[in-house]
Amino acid sequence: MSMAKEPIKVGIISCAGEEIPEGTISRLAVRRVLEHLRPGQTVSICLPLFLAGNEGEREFARSFPTITIDGCDKRCAQWGTEKHSGPVNAAFVVTQMLKDAPPLSGARSGRDLTEADLAAVELVAAQLAAALDQAAATYAGGEQVAVEASSACGCAVGLPSGAVQVNGKTVEIAGLPLIFRQCQEDGLAADSPDAPARLLEVVCVYHAVDDSEAQAYAAALVEAYRTSLASDR
Amino acid sequence: MAESARSKVLVIPCSGIGKVHGLVAREATYRVVEGLEPETSDTLCLALLVKGDEEAVTAVRTRPCITIDGCPKLCSYKNVQLAGSNIAESVRVVDAFKGHKGAQPGTATELAEDGWSITDEIAQQIAARVREMCGGEEQ
Repeated sequence: MSMAKEPIKVGIISCAGEEIPEGTISRLAVRRVLEHLRPGQTVSICLPLFLAGNEGEREFARSFPTITIDGCDKRCAQWGTEKHSGPVNAAFVVTQMLKDAPPLSGARSGRDLTEADLAAVELVAAQLAAALDQAAATYAGGEQVAVEASSACGCAVGLPSGAVQVNGKTVEIAGLPLIFRQCQEDGLAADSPDAPARLLEVVCVYHAVDDSEAQAYAAALVEAYRTSLASDR
Repeated sequence: MAESARSKVLVIPCSGIGKVHGLVAREATYRVVEGLEPETSDTLCLALLVKGDEEAVTAVRTRPCITIDGCPKLCSYKNVQLAGSNIAESVRVVDAFKGHKGAQPGTATELAEDGWSITDEIAQQIAARVREMCGGEEQ
């Protein structure tokens, strides 16, 4: 049986600039990577939500590889990410990426995109995918851990995960030790009244939690966090 | 900045990238500023505003603004308000979807026929509001 390694998730933060055609190219290129080029390996974040202070999303960008893509030289995505979460693994600007490509049509709406615009999306998306692979490999200590998905078991996981007991079920949460480490560095105590909501918020960014199970997840996360802190002493 | 640009209503969508609702907000904006009311409306990068760009902040403080949000987090509404704008209208895409139960709008990448239909409906609503704000007759 071939072993499938769970791919490292890389965050891509796009400017999605509404004012300019390159914002549309940027947004579509990220969607292309998310859906087709690196499905399951990439997560994206709404930039205004990130900039306006969603701690959970900022937390991810602090702990995991992150790439930014901006439509123009104002570099809102790079600026915001580095300000709130530290250096990024790679930063792209669409105008620079396309400087040798055929000119864009100037369309912003998906209704009006031309073949040249769509080709630009492909070109940008391909460069993002390559940067994503490199960021994931660097994160894993030089080893390329993101491999094709299969139905095989998930041992030899690239991203360290952690297990919690939720309503009698064992649930694996990718990146849990890193989330705990970050919370610990931020001074979060396990018995803090903020701990359940804080831990749940961060975990929920990239782990789907049904509303009906949120409370049970929060309790399980606090318990696991408490154990993790105790073992570090 | 030309006088005509200064007086234009700003239509500002949320930049949502993860759900179809964000794309509907974005496309409805373009339908208004490029198709229905190009002379009286314009748009602005929300991220630039949130970054604190002086020109963007001045624009939302001095021009009438309409925000369009895909999801209940209301990033556009909250950030435009935070920048000091007196928002004339806040449109929520999720509300528009309530009148289209069972609709298949498409994805965050590409709208399907239902998605374009909802987009046009939202755009018509915003365009009417823009005309009203600019002293024109609402149709």
